[in-house]
Amino acid sequence: MNRPEADRRRIFRAGQRAILPSLPGAAAWGLVSGVAMVKGGLTVPWAIMMSLLVYAGSAQLAALPLIATGMPLWVIVATGLATNLRFVIYSAALRPYFSEQSPRKRAALGFFMTDFTFMLFMRYAQENTLPAHHRDAWFAGVCSSNWMTWQVCAITGIVAASYIPTDWGLEFTGTLALVALVGPSLSARPAIVGGVVAAVVAVLAHPMPYRLGLFAAAIAGIVAATFVDKWQPPAPQPEAGDAT
Amino acid sequence: MNDPVSGVAMALVIVGLALSTFVTRTSFLLAGSRLRLNHRIETALRYAPVCTLMAIIVPDVLMHGQGSVDFSPLNPRLIGGVAAALWLCWSRNIFGCLASGMAAYSLARVLL
Repeated sequence: MNRPEADRRRIFRAGQRAILPSLPGAAAWGLVSGVAMVKGGLTVPWAIMMSLLVYAGSAQLAALPLIATGMPLWVIVATGLATNLRFVIYSAALRPYFSEQSPRKRAALGFFMTDFTFMLFMRYAQENTLPAHHRDAWFAGVCSSNWMTWQVCAITGIVAASYIPTDWGLEFTGTLALVALVGPSLSARPAIVGGVVAAVVAVLAHPMPYRLGLFAAAIAGIVAATFVDKWQPPAPQPEAGDAT
Repeated sequence: MNDPVSGVAMALVIVGLALSTFVTRTSFLLAGSRLRLNHRIETALRYAPVCTLMAIIVPDVLMHGQGSVDFSPLNPRLIGGVAAALWLCWSRNIFGCLASGMAAYSLARVLL
């Protein structure tokens, strides 16, 4: 095996290790989604097929009642698009990191990108702890572990739906995994202001269907954070202080 | 269990949903240099993770399964979330954060 190939493998495994402590979140969310698919009226083979091909928990859950009531196809797809709108923001944020990759690789990385893997990648990018080379291999490592865990647990949930308790609040593990990701990012003022604005807008816009409130909240938060960023006098920035 | 829709319709639904995920997730990634955002917008996107995370977490903790905000100290999700956050301040260990948050949340649900 030649040198770059060995490097890529090592970096791929480093990505898998980076996501390891957060995998209970993906596992719980996958399991709960799998159970919900079957309880929502899908047969086992269709639920497995949907889990493997769609791989988007919130869009799948949003589509369930529409499928059960026989809504037209375009309504279901439009609902999926609305629920997935936040991924357009993620895709735009990831673009600069993978612009030199082949279209095929970019398509594959995009397909396997989820809320969690995106957040983890950006966290490492902002802390400058991404590997210098083969970032695509690192992200592929992160995404492969997340995909495998989510699918195994979702299919377990689908097959064993009637044996899995739904009143234990297991899915809260997924929320806590996100708390663990956001904590360290809330250190600079623009991020704090943006996060608070996004949270307030998300609560106010909660009645909006299909996670559109989330999309609106993200945009509002990003705008607010950017304003605070521009507003700050350049002198007291920590980077400037560290450099001297 | 009865399938409410025919096989063909169900297959179309799955393909349609799969496309809705694929198109949104790969949008800017696949557009590459052809569809480039303004540099200032691209810089602003570094705040996308923290804003989206807060927009997912806060409603999930404060208004789970209901239309109103539950700020009460007896809200089990609030208790679990605070426990997880406190753990994070004390240690960077993610697994401990999940475990302490779930323990506090479950205890609160059983006891309160």
